[in-house]
Amino acid sequence: MDWFPFVLSAQVATLATGLNLVAGVALGWALARGRFPGRDLLAALTTVPLVLPPTVLGYYLLVALGRTSPIGQALDALGVPLVFTWRGAVVASAVASFPLMVQSCRAAFEGVDPELEQVARTLGRSELEVFRTITLPLAGRGILAGTVLAFARALGDFGATLMVAGNIPGRTQTLAIAVYDTVQAGNLGLAGVLVAVLTAFSILSLLAIQRLGRRLAA
Amino acid sequence: MLEVEVRHVWAGFRLELSLNISREILVLFGRSGAGKTLTLRAVAGLFRPEAGHIVLGGRVLFDSKAGVNLPPQARRVGYVPQGYALFPHLSVFDNVAYGLRGKPEEVRRQVFELLDLVGLRELADRRPQQLSGGQQQRVALARALAVRPEVLLLDEPLSALDVPTRLELQGLIRDLQRQFGIPTLFVTHNLAEAMFLADRLAVVDRGRLLQVGPPKEVLNRPAQLEAAHLMGVRNIFHGRVSLVSEGGLRVRVGERDLLARPAATPAGLRPGDPVWVCVRAERIALVLPERLHRAADANLVLGEITREADYGLASVLYFRLTGPRLSPNRDYDLEVEVPAYVHERLRLDRVRTWTLAVDPEAVHLIPQAGAV
Repeated sequence: MDWFPFVLSAQVATLATGLNLVAGVALGWALARGRFPGRDLLAALTTVPLVLPPTVLGYYLLVALGRTSPIGQALDALGVPLVFTWRGAVVASAVASFPLMVQSCRAAFEGVDPELEQVARTLGRSELEVFRTITLPLAGRGILAGTVLAFARALGDFGATLMVAGNIPGRTQTLAIAVYDTVQAGNLGLAGVLVAVLTAFSILSLLAIQRLGRRLAA
Repeated sequence: MLEVEVRHVWAGFRLELSLNISREILVLFGRSGAGKTLTLRAVAGLFRPEAGHIVLGGRVLFDSKAGVNLPPQARRVGYVPQGYALFPHLSVFDNVAYGLRGKPEEVRRQVFELLDLVGLRELADRRPQQLSGGQQQRVALARALAVRPEVLLLDEPLSALDVPTRLELQGLIRDLQRQFGIPTLFVTHNLAEAMFLADRLAVVDRGRLLQVGPPKEVLNRPAQLEAAHLMGVRNIFHGRVSLVSEGGLRVRVGERDLLARPAATPAGLRPGDPVWVCVRAERIALVLPERLHRAADANLVLGEITREADYGLASVLYFRLTGPRLSPNRDYDLEVEVPAYVHERLRLDRVRTWTLAVDPEAVHLIPQAGAV
């Protein structure tokens, strides 16, 4: 059996989740605590990938990042093209799972009583310290929940990844795409094995993260 | 020590008050929504008023004209909000240590010193959720004191506590304030608590300071009608001065004349001036017939109990006067508060008609500003 799709999917989902974690915490915090014009619009925009068909999302990404776009040309010049590479798969699955991360983070930050932060300030701690010692730990559970959801979503992404990264065995063929490929080739037996492994892997990673969360909370 | 002058206006509410606090407990007393909490938050730097200035121990914390507005971090205030705002993910020890800096062993020493002050050394490892309300309040106090603040801001710190815990903590707060000599702003809407804790009492209503002074003085001599209401004066009548003499003032109330000899006569009252006549319900005495001669100096009126309200420790009796009335438009004229044991001793459940003595010194007059 070819293990490549497993390894690739794990790598892609991990990287995508890492990107989402950084961006999601920052944006979630801004949406929860910030008072700026266009906040609602920004919140709506970050949720859109959740309701669009993944192929539509993939189309947008292809147009925005493809060889003919300014961004695509710049990436080409830097020697890191995205389209039809594993990096494209990372970007596609990251964008597809981003709403879950942002929404979880926003809700987590909104759940932190601002009065706790205010008291922390009167006790002489800087904004950064207050964020690190009060806001972040108290929002931790919600952020972790968002991370789990986003990771699972990124791991299972099909449509957007297929549009942006294509289906190149040994290079961009993730597990979800490999399942489709195998079924198309009529090899239902192998598809069943892939599906079973993917399912087991998903459940195990969710369990692991839950346990980690419990340890953090204790 | 602390000088506060704040002005702020927004939809339907106007906050405009100035206060000076030395090494004392100044109680901010008033209804919810009077602007008490907002004033504390302005001092803590958590709310920025439109105009004014706040000076603490010579340091300018806020000055709208000079454009100074120090962040809360730089103000050195000990702020305890309503509900304490303890950090739920930190132990008691870490809550108290939160504002402390320095070597770990030095921080440890200071934290335990503070925990000893509030009597919580044994609970250092607990989480806030594992503590009773009173213990949580003690942690909040220790945490606020840890940063050696120059002013202590306590926002209704005891209002959620049961009575015994409340009394215990009132004592603790007063002891700590005396020990540290720290200027303290204490917000409450509980009159007994205000009276116990206040070195000076500031009555606040709808964003304005009505009166500030020693608690007994504010209690017995409210300067404005609204202050009288807030301080729990139950008998307030519209009256008119009819005579001013050496021995006191004669005031026309309803169909009667009352003699008033207030401890501090409002200056410049002349016959014909309209006044609010205030008599505290606790200061009206029921006179036994054989003791009538001893009360000859007082305003004596005859009345009958029409109804009463039993508050357990005390009762309020609603007296309707025989003959000329004080409030002809109501079914009663005077509210009289008597302790439960007096109610029992005098058999008030059966003996309903009494002579009441209103000491002229207990009749307080508030000039009616603007009215003619």
